[in-house]
Amino acid sequence: MIETLLTPLQYDYMLKAIFLSGVIGGVCAFLSCFITLKGWSLMGDALSHSVVPGVAVAYYAGWPFAAGAFVTGLLAAVGMGFVKANTRLREDAVIGVVFTAFFALGLLLISLYPSQVDLRSIVFGNILGISNPDIVQVLIISGVTLLVLGFKWRDLLLFCFDPNQARALGLNTTVLHFTLLTLLSATAVAALQTVGACLVVAMLVTPGATAYLLTDRFGKMIGIAMSMGVGSSIVGAYVSYFFDGSTGGCIVTLQSALFVAALVFAPKHGLIGQRARRRAAALGAGATEAAT
Amino acid sequence: MNPVSTEMSVCVSDVTASYPNGNVALRAASFALEGGAICALVGVNGSGKSTLFKAIMGLLKPTAGTVTIAGRPVKAALKENLVAYVPQSEEVDWSFPVSVWDVVLMGRYGYMNFMRTPRAEDRRIAEESLVRVGMLEFRERQIGELSGGQRKRVFLARALAQRGRVILLDEPFTGVDVNTETAIIALLRELRAAGHIILVSTHNLGSVPEFCDHVVLINRTVLAAGPIAEVFTEENLQRTFGGALRHFRFDESTVQNHDGRAVTLLTDDERPLVFGKGGHVEYSKRAEHAEILKKRTEREGDD
Amino acid sequence: MITTLLEPFQFPFMVDAMIVGIAVGAVCSVLSCYLVLKGWSLMGDAISHAVLPGIVIAHAIGLPLALGAFASGLFCAVATGYIKANSRVKEDTVMGVVFTGLFAFGLVIFTKVKSDLHLDHILFGNILGLAPGDLRDTLIVAGFTLGVILFLRRDLLLYCFDPGHARTIGLSTAFLHYLLLSFLAVTIVVSLKAVGIILVIAMLVTPGCIAYLLTDRFNLMLLIAAASAMGSSFFGVYLSFFINASTGACIVLLQAAVFLAALVFAPKHGLWAARRQRRLVSTETPAKERGSF
Repeated sequence: MIETLLTPLQYDYMLKAIFLSGVIGGVCAFLSCFITLKGWSLMGDALSHSVVPGVAVAYYAGWPFAAGAFVTGLLAAVGMGFVKANTRLREDAVIGVVFTAFFALGLLLISLYPSQVDLRSIVFGNILGISNPDIVQVLIISGVTLLVLGFKWRDLLLFCFDPNQARALGLNTTVLHFTLLTLLSATAVAALQTVGACLVVAMLVTPGATAYLLTDRFGKMIGIAMSMGVGSSIVGAYVSYFFDGSTGGCIVTLQSALFVAALVFAPKHGLIGQRARRRAAALGAGATEAAT
Repeated sequence: MNPVSTEMSVCVSDVTASYPNGNVALRAASFALEGGAICALVGVNGSGKSTLFKAIMGLLKPTAGTVTIAGRPVKAALKENLVAYVPQSEEVDWSFPVSVWDVVLMGRYGYMNFMRTPRAEDRRIAEESLVRVGMLEFRERQIGELSGGQRKRVFLARALAQRGRVILLDEPFTGVDVNTETAIIALLRELRAAGHIILVSTHNLGSVPEFCDHVVLINRTVLAAGPIAEVFTEENLQRTFGGALRHFRFDESTVQNHDGRAVTLLTDDERPLVFGKGGHVEYSKRAEHAEILKKRTEREGDD
Repeated sequence: MITTLLEPFQFPFMVDAMIVGIAVGAVCSVLSCYLVLKGWSLMGDAISHAVLPGIVIAHAIGLPLALGAFASGLFCAVATGYIKANSRVKEDTVMGVVFTGLFAFGLVIFTKVKSDLHLDHILFGNILGLAPGDLRDTLIVAGFTLGVILFLRRDLLLYCFDPGHARTIGLSTAFLHYLLLSFLAVTIVVSLKAVGIILVIAMLVTPGCIAYLLTDRFNLMLLIAAASAMGSSFFGVYLSFFINASTGACIVLLQAAVFLAALVFAPKHGLWAARRQRRLVSTETPAKERGSF
């Protein structure tokens, strides 16, 4: 029994995958606190799909995949910003139009030159077969993102909460806006490796949303989100050994399960807590009336 | 279809409603209105005004208590097209691809068949309603191309086209020019004369005594309800608004040019409400008031 | 020359693909007008990803795939609505959490249940490899859905425009809400074979956006959306034959090209028109608006 449980840890590639998933899970979780509060959840989804043509081109040209991905990701973000600012279309519609166009472009490129890129590894991630140069890229991205977030999180928090106040204080909100977008693109690229384009958004949203249900303090929220991100990624990657490879699926399923648990049992904002409070309010109605 | 002959009434009894998160928005609210009334719903933001509106419109099911319209439950009343609603301007998506004519025809949907194809009758009534608010020449405009006052008129026309006997207006005078305000008030008076019940949600205290005859004061529950003269008093308003109003008191000496009474001014920073010793100083006697002022300046000129 | 141009029509699978593409384009585009106006564009994103576990489970227990897809798509929509109403998490976040959870769950069971399902076909569509019954099924379902939507188009429009008024004239807004969601789920299921889970989002958003840029009238909006989608589907399939590329991608990219053209050249809401307007305003002092009221 114990032996079976330890088998995954005997393989080098499993250890690598578990370690990397943990790192990426932690970084994404940190960022997810800002993303959920800013209301950019679907931006994460859009960017993770938009990087596909960049990855394809980078592979043909022999660049580091992250560079290509990053460029098209930002291009998509800027495109969305431009279209939204210049038309009467709603933001969600603009996001939908732009990211599907980028994704289709990627798909077209890959279908035109099939042998070069493995589409499945982009869409589903392939952390178990990740190459060493790719590991370096992911580590660099994670390190830089953590550094920026670590130093600038107060500015970013203010930007998410009250951009006008941030501007009034003399912070450059345009820079903050693009910092956050850039971090989002960068982590989307890193997460692509673990869970794939379709599930990146989960890494960038679910930990933040779960932590938001559990606490009212931003510092604590970051702590909860990160420990959840790291924990679920490590356990998910480990478990995926027994599931023949869908690492992304395992990690995200685990995160979703944690979210559901928080949704139901969270002490203050959970369903059970709310119901109890509603009942108390209904019962207390008579009492307060009598008192006043 | 429309029971014009029957006496209209709105009866809200012991209505309690709560938000999904368990907070109570409105507790044990009760009031009743008979046909031929313009009634203001007055309260601060978050006092439960819109919750009460939603309960009357059937958008929200009270956790306790009942709302009846012409003696029927809300749902049945809605089926008979008894209730019409003029939304707040901020709630409408003005870039929506519909024309003035489309919006007014929407008022007739309740009378149309399953596919909502307008009959000649529906077109005639829609046209009539547009004429009544003076918007017929704008019928082909997209709604976003109208001014604030014109937008309000279009939605009023929709309520007219619907032939609703209970008309709910949510903050009808925000973002509206004075001409439209006067026109709307005149129209509401006509509707009152025809036996309709008009409920106006507003936090614009100053205009309330000018055109309403009833008032419901709300702060998480109905604090007081009834004819303006009895209910719209300084004490009641203080209770309704608590510290949310500016409160000025002028002594006789300060307001020498007034007709000699002590004056209290209550305002939430919009149109002020002015109280004299014997109650509120009515705006509805504007002409008379202007006459007094004119005479007074003449007298001063003589001095 | 002419024979080369006509070549695609000689292959039955190409003709089938064009017919299915046009049918799917028609349904998706009509629905997209409502989604764009209601602000539900990304609901399509969520539901389309969420159908995966339904398909896998239905396949495993031998039910029709469409049934499973429909059920899990609708489950996603309902769960999103429920969680949004009962927690303080924002709607877009809830959507992201729910659909990725379902998609991930689908992936996990897919790898656990060995099957002959092609994941690629679910994700990217396989319009050139339609099975014999697919054409008929698609046409029936698409035709039925389109018919019902058009039949109820005024009620649905009113629901999107002013749900409060819809309620006061006695319409059931809850019914219309779930009706629209069900249409969305059905449409996604119908479109899966043609364009797959990911690109169906484009079919459900882009035509509506194109039309919304071009007109201020709803009926015209429906027509423009349908025309652009059906045209893109036809030419997309046709083009993919010659360049030997992913058909779904070709369709979506053509739509995107039409969108770009509309974005720039739309007579009233386009970038060009806006620029001209700005120049006009800056050269002339604006004529005082006639306040006839």
